[in-house]
Amino acid sequence: MTLRNTTRRWGAIAQLFHWLIVALILVQLWLALRADELTGMGKLRELARHKSVGITILMLVILRLLWRSRNPHPPLPDNLKPYERSLARFTHGALYTLLFAIPLSGWTMSSARGFPVSWFGFLQLPDLVPKNHTLYEWLVMTHVTLVCVLAVIVALHVAGALKHHFVHKDDVLRRMLPFTRT
Amino acid sequence: MRVAALARTLALTLCCAAAMAAPPPAATPAATAPAAAAHYTLDAAHSSLEFTFLQAGARNTGRFPRFTVALDCQGADPLRLEVTVDVAALDTGDKDRDDTLRSDDLFAVKKFPQATFSATHITRTAGGYDAVGGLTIRGVMRETHVPFTFRAANEGGATVGYMTGKTVVRRLDFGVGQGDWQATDQVADEVTVAFKLRLTAAH
Repeated sequence: MTLRNTTRRWGAIAQLFHWLIVALILVQLWLALRADELTGMGKLRELARHKSVGITILMLVILRLLWRSRNPHPPLPDNLKPYERSLARFTHGALYTLLFAIPLSGWTMSSARGFPVSWFGFLQLPDLVPKNHTLYEWLVMTHVTLVCVLAVIVALHVAGALKHHFVHKDDVLRRMLPFTRT
Repeated sequence: MRVAALARTLALTLCCAAAMAAPPPAATPAATAPAAAAHYTLDAAHSSLEFTFLQAGARNTGRFPRFTVALDCQGADPLRLEVTVDVAALDTGDKDRDDTLRSDDLFAVKKFPQATFSATHITRTAGGYDAVGGLTIRGVMRETHVPFTFRAANEGGATVGYMTGKTVVRRLDFGVGQGDWQATDQVADEVTVAFKLRLTAAH
């Protein structure tokens, strides 16, 4: 497997971005659910981690799009129906949009609450909006809603990948998997 | 002749030396009296007492909106300083956090409603003054240095004083942080307390 993409499969860097972000999203869910159960210092600690990992995802998505813009994309198989192509384009667009919107809504939500965000204690990020409790409550709802939308889009994305593999029997899934041949 | 000249020179020199050693002529008649004592109290509307702490790696600021100050001066120099803070009135801009800070594991305001600073010794420093005294928070007293600047001014016939300063306290020295809150990875031990005061004099 090469570092860069080829016309047949995703390179190591693109795969690393993909799977690292998948793993970090799972970590985020776990941290958010834990923070919800805890109070006091424990809650503070989990939320600080959640914010740091969220900012990490945001940075990775920016790097990932830069990398994507400088690499060829392995094309979709020719035998796809137009609606399948549109659906694939829509889900990928939605995934990238959500990967920006969710961390940004979280960051803005912290600013509106008046709790500045720090990246693992190394770097304090600027507040995106002034303190505003009404805006904060609206952003909490937005953040959670966007995560629910992400869950639906991810379900479509996974269903699509599995359909390619088991129904179309093409290499669309395999070319994003490390340690497989295409 | 020569002796007389020498005597005159000597006399002149002594006169000059005496003149230089004497205090400079007073600008106002009042200052010729022993330095006047002044007692200042807080102009709360134009004063602030803030604390800055590191929470989850980010700087956060809160304030104590209710406190009193008594400052005694001898002439221009502060002699004695007493500060009493209503801890329960603390305000960090977040109700949940404020309630947590008031709770038994942190300030325990039900049991310790006040924090006080009582300076027993104030010395002049290069940049202003240094007050040394007992700082009592959550019932624990620690000797603390509070460097500050002080300037008296006459505003429309009234004597006012401007006082600014800050000091760093370690919250755990005072037991502000019991149980889980003893950990310093999310809420740092060091807290900066800063004040900007306007004081009014009552002679």
